[in-house]
Amino acid sequence: MDPQTVNSPRLKILFVMLVAAVLHQTLFAALRWGDVRPHLLLLMAVAGAIVGGADRGAVIGFLCGLLADLFLQTPLGLSALAFSLVAFGVGSVQSSVIRSAWWIPPLTALVASAAGIVLYALLGAIVGQSQFVRPVLLLVALAQGGVNAALAPLMVKAMSWAMTDRVESSFAR
Amino acid sequence: MLLLLVLTAVTLLTLDERSGGLGVVDTVRGGARDALAPVRDATDSAVRPVANFFQGIIQYGRLEDANTRLREQLAARDAELAEAADARRERQELLDQQQLEFAGDIPAVSARVVLASASNLDLTVEINRGRQSGVSPGMPVVNGAGLVGRVVDVSRTRATVLLVSNPTSSVGIRLAGSGEVGVASGRGAGSPLQVDNVDPAAKVAPDEPAVTSGLQQSIYPPGIPVGRVKTARVPPEAVQQEVTVEPIVDLRRLTFVKVLQWTPKP
Repeated sequence: MDPQTVNSPRLKILFVMLVAAVLHQTLFAALRWGDVRPHLLLLMAVAGAIVGGADRGAVIGFLCGLLADLFLQTPLGLSALAFSLVAFGVGSVQSSVIRSAWWIPPLTALVASAAGIVLYALLGAIVGQSQFVRPVLLLVALAQGGVNAALAPLMVKAMSWAMTDRVESSFAR
Repeated sequence: MLLLLVLTAVTLLTLDERSGGLGVVDTVRGGARDALAPVRDATDSAVRPVANFFQGIIQYGRLEDANTRLREQLAARDAELAEAADARRERQELLDQQQLEFAGDIPAVSARVVLASASNLDLTVEINRGRQSGVSPGMPVVNGAGLVGRVVDVSRTRATVLLVSNPTSSVGIRLAGSGEVGVASGRGAGSPLQVDNVDPAAKVAPDEPAVTSGLQQSIYPPGIPVGRVKTARVPPEAVQQEVTVEPIVDLRRLTFVKVLQWTPKP
């Protein structure tokens, strides 16, 4: 395999996605704060939108959500829909924000992750999964947003690595 | 681009809904679970010490409290040991009177819990036994303490267990003291089960054990411990009691479980 192929953003994003999915279900499944754990795949969607903007973020969000859906009992496509919408929103807002401040990615991750889980629950209710809409939903969303915010700088770095250099040509094809 | 993604997602949702759990979507899910299982197992073994280390830091205060509480409980258990033999005899009599079957007579498949749910809202666990070990959807899952949940999805080597605390889970129960039957529904992680259909005139005592009722067409066999009554009250003008049951199984710390190869009698 030639170096150009190995350095392809698509391959690197896929690699980060698989690592995130495996860590999400192993290491981070055990690291619970109360009953809440980080959601690495949602965080990856948010970080993808921070780094790559609305459209690229939406695609990454869709793929991350689809991967998450494979290991859930909820309808396939539910996380994909929620994550792509959240990532698109993050990318749209991010384009009008000065990115140099260090606190922007954690704050974005906090708000977007919380919004992501609420959106997931609301969309779930629309397709018959009304069990997610409960009084504790907002608490779960905020707690998940908090733990995702703590991991946001690392994930943004990972996504910056994955999406740099040939990202334009790769997505433009 | 977003519109295309949304349409694709909606198409997938529709396909999944229409397939009713039997279509290509479930085949893909099962395949993905089986394919990633070795990688996840290997990673889990490698990162478990790291996870335990950080979990210990996160829960240090709680562990200290738990340690103190456990010492107190140990002292109390010493005193209770003497009463245990008599309690066993009484339990046997109670079960005989109610003509309940023993869950222990049912063939079972031992399994290890390998993954917690991938979501904070969907309360499931994944076990390392699947279709090839004789596990099928609908089978009850227990551990040494009592009812854990039931199998909802099976691939060749793995199965997903819906925990009793999941808001979509319902269990027909019988309160062992009063004999009242009801339906216990999950209310999410860390919350007690809510029991419906309990007669307001019934005398329900706090700490009263609840077991699966095993009534006709019940999805669980009778006599499996579910939990203990936490609260019971009759609101004015109510047609049923407000009863909650604390699950007897610590659903946050599941390690080994047994899948009962039992299906409801028609």
